[in-house]
Amino acid sequence: MSDHRLTQTEASLNVTGADLVNIKVNGIAVKVPKGENVIEAAKRAGVDIPYFCYHPRLSKGDAANCRMCLVEVAMPRKNPDGTEVIAKMPKPQTGCTLPAAEGMEIQTETPAIARDRKGVLEFLLINHPLDCPVCDRGGECPLQNNTLFYGPETSRYIEEKRHFPKAYPLSEQVVFDRERCIHCARCTRFTEDISGDAQLGFLKRGADLEVGTYAQTSFKSKFSGNVIELCPVGALLSRTYRFKARPWDLHTQKSICSQCSNGCNIKVDYRLNSLQRINARLNEEVNEEWTCDRGKFGHEYVNSPNRLTKPLIKKDGEFVPVEWSEAYRLLAAKLKEANGNVGGIGGYRNTNEDLFVFQKFFREVLKSNHLDSRIGRYGDSITKPLFERFGYYTMGNAISELETMKTIFVLGASLADEQPILFLRVRKAWRFKGASVIHANTFDTVDTTKVSDFAAANLIYKPGTEITLLYGLLNLLLVDNTNSIEITPQMTSLMKAAGEYPLEKVAEITGLDPKEILKTAKLMATSPTAFIVGDTVTESPDYLAIMQALGDIAVATGNEKNINVPVREVNSQGALELGILPDFAPGFVSVSDPGANTHQMLTSAANGTLPMLWVLGAKLAEKYPDRELVQAALSTAFVVVSELEMTETAQYADLILPAASFAEKDGTFTNCEGRVQRIYKAFDILGDVKPDWLIFTEIASQMGTNFPYFSARDITLDLSKSVPSFTGITPKSLGDSGIRLRN
Amino acid sequence: MSLGTFLKSTIDGANALRTGFGITFRHYAEQQLKTKPVDTIQYPEERREQYPRTRWRHVLTRYDNGLEKCIGCSLCAGACPARCIYVQAAENTDEQRFSPGERYAAKYEINMLRCIFCGFCQDACPTGAIVLRKDFELSDYTREDFLYTKEMFLEAAPMETMIPASTIGAMNRENAAK
Ligand code: SF4
Ligand code: SF4
Ligand code: SF4
Ligand code: SF4
Ligand code: FES
Repeated sequence: MSDHRLTQTEASLNVTGADLVNIKVNGIAVKVPKGENVIEAAKRAGVDIPYFCYHPRLSKGDAANCRMCLVEVAMPRKNPDGTEVIAKMPKPQTGCTLPAAEGMEIQTETPAIARDRKGVLEFLLINHPLDCPVCDRGGECPLQNNTLFYGPETSRYIEEKRHFPKAYPLSEQVVFDRERCIHCARCTRFTEDISGDAQLGFLKRGADLEVGTYAQTSFKSKFSGNVIELCPVGALLSRTYRFKARPWDLHTQKSICSQCSNGCNIKVDYRLNSLQRINARLNEEVNEEWTCDRGKFGHEYVNSPNRLTKPLIKKDGEFVPVEWSEAYRLLAAKLKEANGNVGGIGGYRNTNEDLFVFQKFFREVLKSNHLDSRIGRYGDSITKPLFERFGYYTMGNAISELETMKTIFVLGASLADEQPILFLRVRKAWRFKGASVIHANTFDTVDTTKVSDFAAANLIYKPGTEITLLYGLLNLLLVDNTNSIEITPQMTSLMKAAGEYPLEKVAEITGLDPKEILKTAKLMATSPTAFIVGDTVTESPDYLAIMQALGDIAVATGNEKNINVPVREVNSQGALELGILPDFAPGFVSVSDPGANTHQMLTSAANGTLPMLWVLGAKLAEKYPDRELVQAALSTAFVVVSELEMTETAQYADLILPAASFAEKDGTFTNCEGRVQRIYKAFDILGDVKPDWLIFTEIASQMGTNFPYFSARDITLDLSKSVPSFTGITPKSLGDSGIRLRN
Repeated sequence: MSLGTFLKSTIDGANALRTGFGITFRHYAEQQLKTKPVDTIQYPEERREQYPRTRWRHVLTRYDNGLEKCIGCSLCAGACPARCIYVQAAENTDEQRFSPGERYAAKYEINMLRCIFCGFCQDACPTGAIVLRKDFELSDYTREDFLYTKEMFLEAAPMETMIPASTIGAMNRENAAK
């Protein structure tokens, strides 16, 4: 059965300082941080105070509108004659807004409080429909639970309840049952505090109060799914999960979201062999307790009727389903024929285990180094953009480190789309930790969830002028030295480079307001500053030069360790770490005879010199920048495609091998910050599908090499032994929150 | 063995036979002449009346207007100690209405081999949809045939089938229920 709590946050999160005060909760003496609210403080004494609207991650104090958390409080007070008495406050207080103070005595279970709670619940239930049997929340509903534990047995309200149309489509994903809303303001505060699109608000007053967007437009947010989990009743519901199952029908398995490189920890709720919904799982280091909508709702492919269930061989232009034995026979024959002239592309959506065996098979059995997991524009050595200068490959910071930054410079990224969880951290740094954010890109999205909304400086520069902009900023930082940075001898060469970019010239070339550039330079002089680089830069033909300029700024401002170029797909990072690269073996160990990169492989496949390509889940036809080259290459070579579904790329294949989805296999993913996290098999594999590592192991043994792997676990253990950077990473040591490589 | 004991055991044996066959003959005569009430039922031609609270084969009942009582809430499945009920819900539309309100059971299956006829499902049902009635003749030849489906459980619809769906809104479902 799935488990649902009002918040997954642990009390210890809220330690505000070293100052401890002594309080008593129901007579139990505890020391708690001074100023911590009484709900959290009572948790430390093992006392649960029921509540609805309070949430530790939403701004505190300004909601306090459910009144469920009432407690009786007494405080020490000095009498005029100097004696000290414990004086009870005349009225009950809301625990969520009450800060703990020295000597405070809290009673949560007095008859008066019990009566108050009954009253609060009776009020909440006056207009609440008797929908529990048909309500998706039934069985995991805080209102149901609190009513059962603290509520009245019967209702005295016999009048007609308020009625609204059911299932109002609030957004594409969220449907809203207005009758069930208890006006706790958790959803509205979420869009204000966390997602930042401030889409939801309260309209009208009293019993008519309703949640909605102000102009009754569609609720557009990239994080709308979280409000479903936040809502303490069944008012906000998922359109995809609606009426699919009741909580007791479901089984839950821990997993990692497979939709982007951020690696949100999730819970997969499934029924029989089908995935019903995805909820967030707590990981303070990564996603806290949020997910983005792409992850939460984008899972239809797992149980899609289009899933491939049998190997397919193309015969006379038609795909014919065959048994694995026949597929392997053909594959082995073709691989022998190609004699090492085989290219492997992709793997960015596979587990570390799949990838390790993939490259092992290519390097040890086929003796081919033609491997590349990157299908973007940049195909040169992975060491060039960052490693040669700074010693790290993609992200210098951990995701959670972003919170500690004074300034965050987001360059060329639609952050909420590309890196949703990084976006939430950046916003958290700005909203709750006082960081300033700079947004620079060639365009600004029209979406409602975006960095420019809260950016202190917003630079929309002309395409291709990144280098000018960056050196212009460096010029301001060093040559004009508007912020009086200490000029070390090391910086004089930088100053020379930057000197050629005076402000006026930069403003003219980039098309920016000089004032905005000046402001940016001011902000950047504060340390620490983190840089987050996105697609506009990584897909730019000047990628390396821009990284050079950005590196110069980082050096000048002392932020060498704070450049982040996060990868995009779920295991792109793992694919780099595990050597799905032409020039590096696992652990970034360089190989003596580098193979071809994606572009070279496609070119040689197109002109016939590379007779065979194995495309491991890469969406080449859909995503590769040079479409014609892909078409030429895929139609010339013998193409093996490992895929879940029939994609455009798979249409070109001569042999399709059906692969298992993340919900059907065990393994680990590496997220963009290099955190290795475990996924667990939730339900049985569909049809004749196999996990990719098993396919490689089996074909290797067909070709005469036996890999000693019988489960994904065997491979994880082998990884920890044979790849230096994975030392100490075992299924056991990974635990629930994973381990960051090289940390 | 002496002659005395031999005679005695012969006579005893004859007596025992006479007593035994006597009972058989008496019963035969009683049955033929119907002089005494008989307890044996000639099943399957004859059937005994079941006790009022007997719990046998389930039935999914309907309201008088023909709508199904089951709302697909799965509470029966949650209560079932044998875990043998499978409910899959779907949403009613105004064109295709099966039950009052938003939700109905698109699939309703019970694995009768696992059912222990405890009646907890009936107990849990908030609408009184699933009831255990008196049909106890539940034998069959294959295991698959014991997976009873919604169609098998559902009461026959009354003749004047469904009332127009548009007349039942969420608001007057209490009345529709009557
Ligand atoms: S929100 Fe909770 S209390 Fe209200 S109908 Fe749904 S399950 Fe019942
Ligand atoms: S919709 Fe849910 S979260 Fe939003 S105010 Fe109503 S009860 Fe609270
Ligand atoms: S009678 Fe008992 S065992 Fe049988 S379906 Fe109902 S709850 Fe389950
Ligand atoms: S039979 Fe009753 S308890 Fe079972 S799903 Fe239908 S309405 Fe719910
Ligand atoms: S939790 Fe304190 S008022 Fe709602």
